Amino acid sequence: MGSELVRRGVRWRKQGLLTDAERVQQLHEEYLAAGADVIRTNTLQLNPRLYLNVFRNREHMRHIGAPGLEDLAPKLLRKSVALARAARAGKEGQVAIAGVLSPLEHCFRPDLAPPADVARREQEALARVFAEEKVDFLLLESMNTISEAKAALAAGRTVGLPVWVSFVLGPEGELLSREPLAQAVAEMEKGGAEAVLVNCAPPEDVTRALGTLKKATGRPVGGFAMIGRFSPPSWKFDFFPQFIETETWPPERYVNEARRWREAGATILGGCCGTQPAHIAALRAGQGNGR
Amino acid sequence: MSYAPIGERLKAGQTVILDGAIGTEILRRNVTWADHQVANQPDVIRGIHEDYIRVGADVITTNSFQLCRRALYNHFRDDAHRRHIGARDLDTRADKMLAASVHLAQEARERVKPKRPVAIAASLTTLEWCFRPDLAPSAEQARREYEEIFQVVKDAGADLVLVETVNSIAEARVAMEVARRLKLPCWIGFVCDERGRLFTGETLEQAVAVLEPLAPDAILLNCAPPDDITAGMKQLALYAHVPIGAYAHIGRFDPPEWMFTDEYPPARYRDVASEWKQLGARVLGGCCGTTPDHIAALAALR
Repeated sequence: MGSELVRRGVRWRKQGLLTDAERVQQLHEEYLAAGADVIRTNTLQLNPRLYLNVFRNREHMRHIGAPGLEDLAPKLLRKSVALARAARAGKEGQVAIAGVLSPLEHCFRPDLAPPADVARREQEALARVFAEEKVDFLLLESMNTISEAKAALAAGRTVGLPVWVSFVLGPEGELLSREPLAQAVAEMEKGGAEAVLVNCAPPEDVTRALGTLKKATGRPVGGFAMIGRFSPPSWKFDFFPQFIETETWPPERYVNEARRWREAGATILGGCCGTQPAHIAALRAGQGNGR
Repeated sequence: MSYAPIGERLKAGQTVILDGAIGTEILRRNVTWADHQVANQPDVIRGIHEDYIRVGADVITTNSFQLCRRALYNHFRDDAHRRHIGARDLDTRADKMLAASVHLAQEARERVKPKRPVAIAASLTTLEWCFRPDLAPSAEQARREYEEIFQVVKDAGADLVLVETVNSIAEARVAMEVARRLKLPCWIGFVCDERGRLFTGETLEQAVAVLEPLAPDAILLNCAPPDDITAGMKQLALYAHVPIGAYAHIGRFDPPEWMFTDEYPPARYRDVASEWKQLGARVLGGCCGTTPDHIAALAALR
């Protein structure tokens, strides 16, 4: 969602949820038209820390910050679900809405991950918002440590939502934290995850990881890769989904690689940063035998 | 151009007008400031510099706040991860943009051709987030990074360095030492709280005691609301012997952008700046939220 909105020229503030709501909804609709069975809320990396982190502390935020920053993240989560729901109108029985949670700190910085008890508390507050908004399930995306994934999974189970957990891969093919992927999968199965996935790594890395994933669990597994190269803008503190050279992975090439994911046992296929509705349409067409 | 005419004005006790906001002014002109835009939208950046020169700024600042390699690298786990999925130019991009930011300010000066001397200050800040002293790198690490950055802006032709929104004495001292070693005129701007203290809790008295032996060309206060700047100015004026100055932000930080309010229209901002002048401030300008109209109003205090 994010990288495509940025590519379309949406000025990336509040994930576009307030200023460009129609374009967010439009993109959801395009993914649905392309054949997605699940659409994801546009909430990657959206949590209260996104705003708090750029101030000295909470008091400083109240002192010089815009009014309402303290309650902004949950409001935006609600808005994100409303937009996904509006896009899905008329297809309620066929399409699920996944509420996206992700690491509380930068998804590529496992070193910044908060302690498990803090993560549990903060993730649960977010999960509860999604539960109140009646998403169909939670997708923990780009998780970078076992500890925070466990905390967020437990938070999701506590609020009564089914949970898929997806890990971001490091260049070594393990978690970005360098913890073994197989161990992460076992922990997620133990914690009650409905499915385990890998994401936000190049397509070939996803292919390699899926073998490990399939071997480690009897639960459904899947993957959604990033394409191109991450090109953060020069004045940004938090994750900003700007990707370049995405043309190196046109839909045909992407779907060819995704076939290997299926061969490795994946039954959940999608696209992460850099992918577009055309990639999802190609996945749907390439899948051939329907859902 | 060099820093000399500005330094002489300050030495003579005259007032020097600094420009206003760049980053928030970019937003106000409906361009995103996620990127500094020195490569993508050079006309917008140069245009803002030109406007500030036209309304009377003696010193204009480059659009390079927080522009450094560390800021780009921070988005990745480590070098291996960056090389694996990152854009290929991330190791050279920041330095190139820094040089470009100086060149855009120079172009603006050449186009406007002001009759008075106008100096170009390379805008730099803390290596980590300006409001988060808890994230600051070690002094040794900071020294290595500042040396590279200062050398780039010096080679690009900046007349002075303005290290602004500094949140600790330690980082200010390293920046000042690097400036002296590279023989670059240097102003240090501290962000202060309602009591006029640094974000580390250190006092301006302590800051002055550490910095003055390094002969900063000015010590300033910036990026706090006008009342907080006034509180800090009362402290700074009490202890400093070098030229001092101030530029406040107006409006509210609405990350990742800025919320413009009408609380401080130009005339009211000029009035509060004139209080700073009475307290001893000789460099007056504007931080986030200020516009060329605010600087035009300040020019009356010159």
